[in-house]
Amino acid sequence: MKRRKRMLQELDADIRDHIERETQDNIDRGMSPEEARYAAQRKFGNVTLVKEETREVWSFTWLEHLLADIRFGLRMLRKSPGFTAVAMLTLALGIGANTAVFSLVYAVLLQPLPYKNPASLVVLNETTPKVGTVSVSYQNFLDWRTQSHSFSQLAAVHQINFNLAGISQPENISGDAVSPEYLSMMGVRPFLGRDFGASEDKAGTAPIVLLGYSLWQSHFGGDPDAVGKTISLDGRAFTIVGVLPADYRGFDKTDVMLPIGVWVTDNPEGASSRGERGDMVAIGRLAPGVTFQQAKTEMEGIAARLAKEYPATNDRFGVALQPIRDAFVGDAKPAIFLLFAAVLFVLLIACANVANLFLVRGASRTKEVALRIALGASSGRIIRQMLTESFVLSFLGGVLGVALAVAGNRGIAELIPQDMMPPGGVNLNGAVFGFASVVVILAAFLFGLAPALHATRPDVQVELKEGGRTASAGAAQNRLRGALAVAEISLALILLVGAGLMMKSLYLLLQVDPGFRTDRVLTLTMDLRTQQYAKDAAVLNFWQALLDRVRALPGVESAAVGTVVPLTESHSRSDVTIEGMAAPAPGDYPHPDVHLVSPGYAATLGIPVMRGRAFTDHDNENAPLVGMINLMMARRFFPKEDPIGKRFMFGHPSTANPPKWFTVIGVLGDTKLYGLANPARLEVYIPLRQRPTSKMTLAVKSGADPTALTSSIREAVQSIDKDQPIFAITTMKQLESDSVATRRMTLVLLGLFSGLALILGAIGIYGVISYSVAQRTHEIGVRIALGSPRRDVFRMIVGQGLRLAGIGITFGIVAAFGLARLMSSLLFGVSAADFETFAAVVALLVFVALLACYVPARRAMRVDPIVALRYE
Amino acid sequence: MSTKEQRERIELLQGTLDLLILRTLLRGPAHGHAIAKAIELNSEDVLQVEQGSLYPALHRLIKRNWISAEEGTSENNRRAKFYRLTSTGRRQLALETRKWDKLAGAIARILRPAGQEGES
Repeated sequence: MKRRKRMLQELDADIRDHIERETQDNIDRGMSPEEARYAAQRKFGNVTLVKEETREVWSFTWLEHLLADIRFGLRMLRKSPGFTAVAMLTLALGIGANTAVFSLVYAVLLQPLPYKNPASLVVLNETTPKVGTVSVSYQNFLDWRTQSHSFSQLAAVHQINFNLAGISQPENISGDAVSPEYLSMMGVRPFLGRDFGASEDKAGTAPIVLLGYSLWQSHFGGDPDAVGKTISLDGRAFTIVGVLPADYRGFDKTDVMLPIGVWVTDNPEGASSRGERGDMVAIGRLAPGVTFQQAKTEMEGIAARLAKEYPATNDRFGVALQPIRDAFVGDAKPAIFLLFAAVLFVLLIACANVANLFLVRGASRTKEVALRIALGASSGRIIRQMLTESFVLSFLGGVLGVALAVAGNRGIAELIPQDMMPPGGVNLNGAVFGFASVVVILAAFLFGLAPALHATRPDVQVELKEGGRTASAGAAQNRLRGALAVAEISLALILLVGAGLMMKSLYLLLQVDPGFRTDRVLTLTMDLRTQQYAKDAAVLNFWQALLDRVRALPGVESAAVGTVVPLTESHSRSDVTIEGMAAPAPGDYPHPDVHLVSPGYAATLGIPVMRGRAFTDHDNENAPLVGMINLMMARRFFPKEDPIGKRFMFGHPSTANPPKWFTVIGVLGDTKLYGLANPARLEVYIPLRQRPTSKMTLAVKSGADPTALTSSIREAVQSIDKDQPIFAITTMKQLESDSVATRRMTLVLLGLFSGLALILGAIGIYGVISYSVAQRTHEIGVRIALGSPRRDVFRMIVGQGLRLAGIGITFGIVAAFGLARLMSSLLFGVSAADFETFAAVVALLVFVALLACYVPARRAMRVDPIVALRYE
Repeated sequence: MSTKEQRERIELLQGTLDLLILRTLLRGPAHGHAIAKAIELNSEDVLQVEQGSLYPALHRLIKRNWISAEEGTSENNRRAKFYRLTSTGRRQLALETRKWDKLAGAIARILRPAGQEGES
């Protein structure tokens, strides 16, 4: 703005010059010099005004006005510290809660995924009506890739765990075996080293890995020379060819990544048999111009063809596509949206409250405003000034709110279920601060506009004549204040209903009998992956030795191993054929969860034996094949007979699959394997010794705190095999608690927000009623003087408050009926229109409203008529 | 604080003055006094502009980059500020002239609708 300065500096000289020229012209026309100067000046006009107007051309009047308004606003806020503190705190709570929840929304739903154009990435799974979404078989994946045209690229990602030994304590790490084009398709380049080569998806691929960034940091100290070295996975040397970037994000933790050719080499059977659905998903990039829906239609056609072509393995199997973002968010989406909506309601209530405060204060400022209007201030100017005041307040509230959000952030992060958490965690970043600023501005308008418009409406003359007394603050304003209180009550009711429904759901959920014991049971998992366990005998020896040693530990009541501990992610299901059953279509075979367990499993987990007996040490590799089934299985397939002595086999009978019959010796109670909210499924149990397996979970029932056993169990394991890692160490109680984590987080936050809403709503009613009592002191005094019983005055005031509450409750109930249905996917065992919940919430609100009216009503009752009348 | 009405009237005048200044400068750079004189002469003294109001207008045009100011010496060797039309200003003048013609035409049609001429 150098131009501005120069132009204004020379303005005086320019004007002087101009007038001199005009004077000269006039002299030339024959005027006397004096006359000429006078005429020139008259013709020029008011020099001062001209200068002022010229200066104004260059100035930022609006900015100067704004600064003046801000200074004025700050002064006004300082003058009424009580008002400022209450309003600021209310706003801080509203804005802080919004900021905190938005940081969660951003981290989970909005934060850009670290891939190239993630919008066109699609995750594919197989589906079966018996289970729902399941993993993809490699053979199906290969057919999908050759037959589909919707994807420019399609890659397989197979999750594998490894035992890592030789660096520090033995541990179990997770890795992904991926199609060689996977990384380039995702737009991810290794941080160090090379990507996989196109041919590294064939059998015979040399064992190579890319290290995950954090594993590289923790185990190799971030040493670039790690590339080219080897790492011992499952007792085999893998050559490190590179390191993944720090911001790489897979579906699980990615400690290592290897080309799928290595997996194909190691698992020829898994890779070649179409019915083998291990732990694989496919990820595709939509070809340019292809929509998600088109790809879905094409893939469904391909899946249907494959189902016809390979009925034995694919009958009734379909395909499920989802955008990659949804695959990350999972089923937490409704909970997050619910919380976001709830927190917006809290903000609305906070704004209504502050608007109410502003109106009260506005009433005492009507004289000031009227005076200013009378002195010529335009109402636009006054509205602008009052809005600026709102902004100043909102900004201060926002700063405090963000500080609260920072403080509460840690708490919220702890409430989030681990699998929902993005690798960077939930934190406050630019997007979150941007959001907070938008909220601050919106809030300022929300609570500032109505009072500002109101303040400028009154008739100037009346206000000035009234001498500033607030009696005429007007029915309109009282109506507005009443409406705000009503809105607060309605919103609070909606939130309380939501919290109430969640609370009841969680209560009912925790009442569900899981079918197993959760008290004092420690679980931990081991996977025998090294070469020394290639033979079944070695595997069985390990488990036997483990059980012997653990059972001998002091404090251990019982111990057992099993493959599928309830409430964990690990599952193993298989088709079974029941002897004598008419052969169903390939897709309609019973498909139970299969447990391989040691003797003592049912007793350790407290699963009741309903009929027959549980396994003993005699049910071993030399004894006849036996099994247990669960109650659901018994009822479904042997509704009228005793299932004991009946036989079943795994898979479908065929000449290639000669029947290996297992005789049912016992029936166990059903367990909630898939979480408390999910129905039980069919289950069969087989003795470990008759079907040895290398990955098992040890369950230990302790007489006291089970976690105290961890280190002695670790020592027991190391004494058998010093390189054997143990992982997933937890308790059944913890698993149970984790299984309701999303609901609990929702409940805790919703409870917090609705509590806040209730308090703010109560303050709202209190404010309206006590202000109205203050306004009506004169009237009340007259009533009492005329002999109205004080009880009636009390009733009149309480009645006024209850009327507001009643209207608010009515609106709230209607809205809550509509909105609660949106959260039905989060509810358990309770309808969205649950009468008890609604009744309890209404009762609570009425009680709180009564409480809020009580103090002002008492004050009204005690009005001294003499004082009230003299006050005039 | 002036009332709204007054301010609008001033703005309308200023807008017109802007157009006249641009038109005047189309013939070449000129200093402030010369511009005022030219407007007076060309309008045959119908438009009696207070000469002072020229300056806020000139500064506004400079701020918008429609004209530029430079130091120079006038006919009798006196230092003076010369104002010169910029290319943006030239385009703006064409635009404003068209707008003005349109406006003037429309107002003329409303004030003297064809066909009513004889009857009234």
